[in-house]
Amino acid sequence: MKRIVFLLALSFLVVGVGAATAQTMSYADAISQLADACKSDLAKYCKGVPLGPRLKACFNANQAMMSPQCQQTRAMVYASIARRAAAQRDIGDICSADINRLCGTSHADAHLVECLVSVSPVAMSPACNQAFNDTGWRTERARQ
Amino acid sequence: MKPHHISAVCALILTSALTAAVAQQQINSGQMTNSLAGVSNTQLSLSGAQMRQAALDNIRDYPGAIPPHPLSFPQMANLAQFVVEVDFDFNSAVIKPSSYRTVGAIADALHNPILLSYGFLVIGHTDSVGGRAYNIGLSQRRAEAIRDALIDPFGVNPGVLEAVGLGEEQLRDPAHPTSGVNRRVQLVNVGKKYCFGRSGEQFLCQ
Repeated sequence: MKRIVFLLALSFLVVGVGAATAQTMSYADAISQLADACKSDLAKYCKGVPLGPRLKACFNANQAMMSPQCQQTRAMVYASIARRAAAQRDIGDICSADINRLCGTSHADAHLVECLVSVSPVAMSPACNQAFNDTGWRTERARQ
Repeated sequence: MKPHHISAVCALILTSALTAAVAQQQINSGQMTNSLAGVSNTQLSLSGAQMRQAALDNIRDYPGAIPPHPLSFPQMANLAQFVVEVDFDFNSAVIKPSSYRTVGAIADALHNPILLSYGFLVIGHTDSVGGRAYNIGLSQRRAEAIRDALIDPFGVNPGVLEAVGLGEEQLRDPAHPTSGVNRRVQLVNVGKKYCFGRSGEQFLCQ
């Protein structure tokens, strides 16, 4: 029975990771999933370690001891954060042709995003659409 | 203890846990973005170093266990800003995991394209527990801890962030100087930091 529960939990996590690669999470959602899934491991192995590069190093140093749930969540969370940050940084390059064609500007500023939000995803090149999804700016725009 | 006493205690704990959860959920990156974006075309002509010095001068000029005269920066009154609570370990600059979400939400807001190209002050404030000069140092380290987390892992451009600690020199509730509402982080939009050239290149605004 325990084994079944474990397998169920594992498959849940794998599905979770699969979903995360399809779409990035907000930074708030991502980091709070980490805080929740790793609560006891953080208190046990990384108490007093500041959020930032040193926390990442602490995870790496202690991962063998940490719960499988924490390890899985942590991999997914850091991947999502890195992917969103990269998309937000590189969107101007990835979408430059789309921006010229659809928005008539090459400035990587707020107007550009207003334009991309207004454009239908099917009008965008697949790479640009994927990068724009990864930025999370559609959902952030809806939150404002 | 009789069973109904235990359940009463449980209910009490649950209620406070629930309140904490609701308070956390109220941090909305969209609201934060809007508050930080409502900007006039003003530039703050006040550096972090000048603010720190003003806080130290305030201790020298108005001595006392609790600041008899609050430090004020009239130049900042009209700037777009937002105040959040971030919990730290006691007497430490380590952000509690329960506040990770808040720091993530700040990152979500600062990455919003509307706020792209603006500079921000991350100002740390303490309550009146502890010495005033010590609190300036503690709040400085706390503001820096938030700035550092925004930069890594959240990828905020280091060039747009400046951390400042003002200790207890600007109590939010001077009538209750030890109250938790005094412990806070203030984000202030200090105006355009980066401008864009005709072909999209980024440079420091003059």
